[in-house]
Amino acid sequence: MPGFDFSNYNRNAALHARGVPLPKATSTGTTIVGCIFDNGVVIAADTRATSGPIVADKNCEKLHYISPNIWCAGAGTAADTEFTTALISSNLELHALSTGRTPRVVTVMTLLKQHLFRYQGHIGAYLVVAGVDPTGIGLFTVHAHGSTDKLPYVTMGSGSLAAMAVFESTWKRDCTKEEAIKVCSEAILAGIFNDLGSGSNVDVCVIEKDKPTQLLRNYFKPNERVKKERDYKFARGTTAVLNEKVITKEEIGRYVTVHELSSGSDSDSLVVVEKMDVDEV
Amino acid sequence: MIGPGTGMLGEDGIHIDMNHLKSGEVNLGTSIMAINFKDGVILGADSRTTTGAYIANRVTDKLTQVHDTIWCCRSGSAADTQAVADIVQYHLGMYGIMNNEPPTTQTAAALFQELCYDNKDQLSAGIIIAGYDKRNGGQVYSIPLGGSLHKGPYAIAGSGSTYIYGFCDAHWKEGMTEEEGVQFVKDALREAIKWDGSSGGVIRLVVLTAQGAQRHLYLPDQDYRGPGYK
Amino acid sequence: MASIMNAGGLPSDQPGYSFSNASAPSESSGPRQHAFNPYTDNGGSTLGVTGADFAILAGDTRSTSGYNINTRYAPKLFRIGDDGDSSSRIVLSVVGFAADGNALKERLDAIVKMYKYQHGKPMSVKACAQRLSTILYQKRFFPYYVHAILGGLDDDGKGALYSYDPVGSYEREQCRAAGAAASLIMPFLDNQVNYKNQYIPASGTGHELQPRAIESLPKEDVIGLVKDAFTSATERHIEVGDGLQMLIITKDGIEEIYTPLKRD
Repeated sequence: MPGFDFSNYNRNAALHARGVPLPKATSTGTTIVGCIFDNGVVIAADTRATSGPIVADKNCEKLHYISPNIWCAGAGTAADTEFTTALISSNLELHALSTGRTPRVVTVMTLLKQHLFRYQGHIGAYLVVAGVDPTGIGLFTVHAHGSTDKLPYVTMGSGSLAAMAVFESTWKRDCTKEEAIKVCSEAILAGIFNDLGSGSNVDVCVIEKDKPTQLLRNYFKPNERVKKERDYKFARGTTAVLNEKVITKEEIGRYVTVHELSSGSDSDSLVVVEKMDVDEV
Repeated sequence: MIGPGTGMLGEDGIHIDMNHLKSGEVNLGTSIMAINFKDGVILGADSRTTTGAYIANRVTDKLTQVHDTIWCCRSGSAADTQAVADIVQYHLGMYGIMNNEPPTTQTAAALFQELCYDNKDQLSAGIIIAGYDKRNGGQVYSIPLGGSLHKGPYAIAGSGSTYIYGFCDAHWKEGMTEEEGVQFVKDALREAIKWDGSSGGVIRLVVLTAQGAQRHLYLPDQDYRGPGYK
Repeated sequence: MASIMNAGGLPSDQPGYSFSNASAPSESSGPRQHAFNPYTDNGGSTLGVTGADFAILAGDTRSTSGYNINTRYAPKLFRIGDDGDSSSRIVLSVVGFAADGNALKERLDAIVKMYKYQHGKPMSVKACAQRLSTILYQKRFFPYYVHAILGGLDDDGKGALYSYDPVGSYEREQCRAAGAAASLIMPFLDNQVNYKNQYIPASGTGHELQPRAIESLPKEDVIGLVKDAFTSATERHIEVGDGLQMLIITKDGIEEIYTPLKRD
């Protein structure tokens, strides 16, 4: 069955009525912006994800791929922006394949608004849709309830007021690519420093006519962590071991499939998906 | 509303809160109107969209085309009115092709009414429909919150309209020229914007005649005299 | 710290739930009244650590309301009974509702000054700590919405630290974190100051393993720990940042150190 699974709805409603709080969704209390220029459009976002007052991710990605020339910046509930953009991206690719045409920004905007309107705001996705297509340059905002706006410069998320202040005071019509990138990244910086829901780095995406799209990940990094004063490496054996049991590869192989990733013991040959921030010794 | 959930029946009658907006919903706290004049109709609107106290869009286009010379003014929830207008636009487009003849304003208004009445408990939409067709000339219809349909010489709606009932009543003339009609709508909306905090920005007009649709734009920094005024 | 104890249900043979089984007061039953809410949370965090001959109090300088920053420099640390001759050896830190924090500071400061004028000698930290408890409890039914920490040197010249709940329950401790990031900083302090969960390697097996003995940390080490606690809390808590104010109390006086923190 496609769509959402509501089988836990009644249980959760009963628990909620008895005072059990709803689980906290990771919200991207965000700053996202977009601005058109003479030959295309720029969108930008901060990289902080929060869960209440706690920073859940210091360097998350809020710029989502829709098609090679259409990208989305997402604010609101992280899962909703992620899944909604992925769903529309998937449907759009099938649509492009069946029509044999390059997808349009208005098509994306319409698919998004119809999807979000159907769910009456329960899908908390607030999006900036941007791109170029054969009809020209497109820049839209889509709210969770399904309303849309078409403007030359847009901001959304908790930092939208700080970011809009930058646009309203410094934006000029007919700007170049460089000017658009500058005003967008400055608007994000305003959000990062003045809105507690936004923080860390600036991501920028430049979509230009007849040129490959550039995703400038961490275009600015104005919030690098300072080096720690002290060393927190524990001596081996500091933690009490109360119980020890060795499970051999052969033994666990009876329950799961075991793959050898590298033959040698050197850690360089291991597959690293994402590097974690770890103190150097 | 009295009591929780379903209780709409109070001691002094039935009360329905139709002005409900879901939290965080984008609102068109609007001033909109449409009038009949000698050669057709004129639609007018302010351009402010708000989320709470924040102006989400200061140059909104609340005048939406649903067919060549049938347009509507939207007030209430931005999402609801856009969805309704999109559906009507689709049906009128199909109607035009299937019958090889443009739909009448009355047909459009009936479509709007059906959607607004059938879904009244889920929608917050106040819509004015105005159009020009060969058979009936210019016509103005209004659909307030409950989904009823009213035809009239002119219609005003939105939060700002409360301030201009007297103005419109005092200044309305049957069979105005285009110039007089534009001035009437513009002056009325200026007054609505002046007194209503939820209305503001530019004034947009659309003039619908046998010649088709003509857009007007009037900017506040030029005293609403036009976009090119120095 | 005692705080207000959780008055949980009595133990029974029935299986327990992590929530009250009584139906929560339904929100829409009966008329609801919207009352004026006299409190706001201004965020931020404070901490205090003592050593053999010093006490350190620290706090970030950011003041927030919601997602907004009121100011990047609003100190949460106050010298108490300081009448200009730099004889003061008591520091109060307050975090929570800033307006109540200021009011509390003003009251305690006036009382400690009056004590000195009336008795011709400065108030001891122990006496000041007891007095602060009384001040807080006097407002038992309209509390100062703050988590206070009082620091100084005791009669033997050792570092002294007292921490309070909003209604005056207090305790002398080695170290304490308070405020928005208390739950992030306190476990770090437990581990690094009181060596909780640290054992001496190869000192035994299983339960016979010897815990690492608590020692009195030198001042410089504690300053390093405090800075690391705050730079780390700034990374993971949105209400902590902008600046770190430290007041170090020794027999020679109160030294102030200010270090910038991240501003995002």
